[in-house]
Amino acid sequence: MRERFASHFDPFVIPFLVGMAFVLGYCLIAMIRVILQLPKEDRRRFLVSLITPKQIWINVRDIFLNCLIHVKLWQRNKMLGFMHSSIAFGWFMIILLGHLEVILFVPERIHLFYYPIFFNYFVAETEQTIQGSMLMFLMDFFLLMILSGIAIAIIKRFASRIVGMRRTTRLSLLDRVGLYSLWAIFPLRLLAESFTAHISGGSFLTIPANWIFRQFLGNDLYALPTWWAYSIALGVFMCVLPFTRYMHIPAEMLLIPMRNAGIRIRHPRKGFASLEVYSCPACGVCIDACPMSVLKVNCKDTTVYLNRQLRRGNERRIAEISDKCLLCGKCTAVCPVGVQGPELREAQRARRKYALSPSYAGINVRPMASAVAGGAGGASGGVLYFAGCMTQLTPSIRRATASLLDKAGVRWQMMDPDGGLCCGRPLMMAGRTEQARELIAKNLEIIRASGCDTLLLSCPICYKVFKEDYPLSDIRVVHHSVFFQELIASGQLKVRREEGHKLVWHDPCELGRGCGVYEEPRAALAAAGELVEAGKHHAESICCGGSLGSLSLGFEQRKAMTRNALDNLTVADPAEIVTGCPLCLATFVRAADRPVRDIAEILDTRS
Amino acid sequence: MVNRTPVIAVIGAGIAGLEAARQLSGLGYEPVLIEKAPAVGGHVAEWNRLFPDMAPAADLLQSLEAGTSGIRTHVDTEIASLGRLKDGYSLILSNGETLLCDAVLFATGFHLFDASRKEEYGYGIYDRVITNRDLEQWFNTRHDPRVGKPKAVGFVHCVGSRDVKAGNKQCSKVCCITAIKEAIEIKEEFPDAEVYCFYMDLRLFGKKYEDFYIRAQRDLGIHFIRGRVSEVGEAIDGRVVVKAEDTLSGKPVKVTLDLLVLMAGIVCNPDAQHYARELGVAVDEDGFLKSRDNLGAVIESSRPGVFFAGACTGAKTVPETLAEARSAALAIHQYFNKRR
Repeated sequence: MRERFASHFDPFVIPFLVGMAFVLGYCLIAMIRVILQLPKEDRRRFLVSLITPKQIWINVRDIFLNCLIHVKLWQRNKMLGFMHSSIAFGWFMIILLGHLEVILFVPERIHLFYYPIFFNYFVAETEQTIQGSMLMFLMDFFLLMILSGIAIAIIKRFASRIVGMRRTTRLSLLDRVGLYSLWAIFPLRLLAESFTAHISGGSFLTIPANWIFRQFLGNDLYALPTWWAYSIALGVFMCVLPFTRYMHIPAEMLLIPMRNAGIRIRHPRKGFASLEVYSCPACGVCIDACPMSVLKVNCKDTTVYLNRQLRRGNERRIAEISDKCLLCGKCTAVCPVGVQGPELREAQRARRKYALSPSYAGINVRPMASAVAGGAGGASGGVLYFAGCMTQLTPSIRRATASLLDKAGVRWQMMDPDGGLCCGRPLMMAGRTEQARELIAKNLEIIRASGCDTLLLSCPICYKVFKEDYPLSDIRVVHHSVFFQELIASGQLKVRREEGHKLVWHDPCELGRGCGVYEEPRAALAAAGELVEAGKHHAESICCGGSLGSLSLGFEQRKAMTRNALDNLTVADPAEIVTGCPLCLATFVRAADRPVRDIAEILDTRS
Repeated sequence: MVNRTPVIAVIGAGIAGLEAARQLSGLGYEPVLIEKAPAVGGHVAEWNRLFPDMAPAADLLQSLEAGTSGIRTHVDTEIASLGRLKDGYSLILSNGETLLCDAVLFATGFHLFDASRKEEYGYGIYDRVITNRDLEQWFNTRHDPRVGKPKAVGFVHCVGSRDVKAGNKQCSKVCCITAIKEAIEIKEEFPDAEVYCFYMDLRLFGKKYEDFYIRAQRDLGIHFIRGRVSEVGEAIDGRVVVKAEDTLSGKPVKVTLDLLVLMAGIVCNPDAQHYARELGVAVDEDGFLKSRDNLGAVIESSRPGVFFAGACTGAKTVPETLAEARSAALAIHQYFNKRR
């Protein structure tokens, strides 16, 4: 082992150093800005979480698993998982091993940033020792791993179907510069290390390559320019990184601890929202997942393009994309980073200034409150059933629910026998949070007056807002599918099973992805018939197309989505389609070729 | 041209089919009526009295049936398949018979919109909600427990028509006047009852239609409320509670009724679409059969030898249907003359 140059320096490291200094400086400033933009209590919460030992461990684990290993991608698509983790983890290992080499062999040079990266140029021969050959082998091994990942990436760019993606993102110009420089880095490193392998040593990749090159290249004049090229590729990549999708690499490392600390989007553009936007790797997994993508015209309205337009500040497109979305949350479910597409859009919608903003603060709910005060759900606890506007429009659900409650001998009463107030969720979706709060206060008054201990909902849209935005910690908020499943399990409700009658459960967006209810309705259905699954189900279920979330989708466009969702639901040829959302039901009924019913109706006919 | 008498398959033996068959046979052709229902007459057979002269539907049918008495008629018969021949068509019927014919006349009519698909109106869920067809049958049979002796009756116009969400953009044309006719009949039957019509537009284009409207409003005190019904609920006593918006006064209205009649709209007949596809005849985007030309050739299809009569191309009144049936017969006559 010896150092080749007494000066420990060569001008070719300058592009790398410039890039490194730029990217580190940029990211540091960006990180401080994001943290400063957080609301005060969020910032405190985040900083405290950074020094909580348990949180530190969770953060390190999550960063390792998500940023380096890409576990989420592995679960979705092995090929994509391998591609991303081989590049990320391989690169990480090469940097780590480079530092290890410096620490082991020339510890006095550790302060030189470029030494671990260009170690083989500056330090010669280490493969004769066991340490050296081991490290050399590992370096070559991880380089090979990265190169295999790059090879898949190139294939994916030109034929995305081979790696299982129907559609992939259209890259912007700078993204292309970043992409090509990233592709160039590792082949150049292989070349550079191969050219110097007979001097500085190498392993199973670099030594044979060196031998081949020496067969027809008579001298070492090629070595230095290749190291230059390697350094320039690194420099270019790092200089464009903040302006490309590769910003997700540093951004995600901040996003993960912030999310773990429970930070939510509070401002449409600042703080956590901007961090989410920059964490988007523009992989395009959300394009295939988005229910709107059944129509090609909507492909550019998916979350990946929202993030891009947010970075560009294109207000017209931001408004368009934010309004169109169904807020079904599937993009978040499949996103390897977990960018919250719906929440980002709701925040954008809240920026809008409306000419008319009617206030609901003046509504007198005293008559409604006194109507429920002395009822069956009265002072000593009981069930208060809120049908909500959509269930009022699908009276068979209300009827079946009432009948089941009576059959099970539950003490209950209705909160809105003559129609009630809106739960507030549609206003929230439209970004009118203030007005939603007014309605929430009114509804709370009625609920409190009833003295109930359980609030029963048959509409997942209501369920989500009652669960998340109403301060009802002492009252159990429950969706009817869960409630009936419990009644069946406890034997209070007897359900006859009809053998061979195939039922498929459609996971409504707000119930499944929105509130995490997947298994209870399935268990209840399994008691009534033979449960079959849709093509895509649970967190990947496809929105019916009727969602209140979209403010601008036309009926014709929604129809195509409904048909697509129905095709997905009927792959196992069920006799009936069952759901737990009156809006999904009303949407499907119009287009389905077989009966569509609410879970309450199915259970009611079998009990 | 062959020397035998040309055979014309008339699909559907409603008023269009009957009238066309009568005319064709009068012109010396051999029409064959094919009807999937057990009896001829189609929708008109289910109706009681017809506007504008309140003539009994049975009288009209009687005269049509009398005129077609000698004509080969297959009732309770469906068409298993249709095929094109060199200069004719072959129909395989569900009774096993194969019919070779020289021309096909679609008199397949319409379907009444399934009102239970508008669940918010509660048809099939609440006992006091019926459709226009149910009410006509009650007029015929006086037997429907849902009707009873109502004190308040509502009519909902445009159920499943002019309704994009229900999949039907088109206007059903005859329900405005049908609703007013039935409202008058109800009022005459139950003079003490309050009668409400919930409409979005009143399209009273035909002869004497406006007279009906004026009579209903002025003489009989029927309430016309402009605004779509938003939802229908059920009171504890089983009556129905209708919520709507009165868009003229800009206020929400809520009325409790003993009987709610839904004016189910006219939608295309899916069987007709199926047959049309087998024959390679164009179907319009509203699901009805597509005329070669909407001005001059409403009764002609895009294919020679295939003709239309009546509501298979869109909603029609009775006189319009009869007139089309006659003109279809004449068009078929000219078609054979040209071939001769």
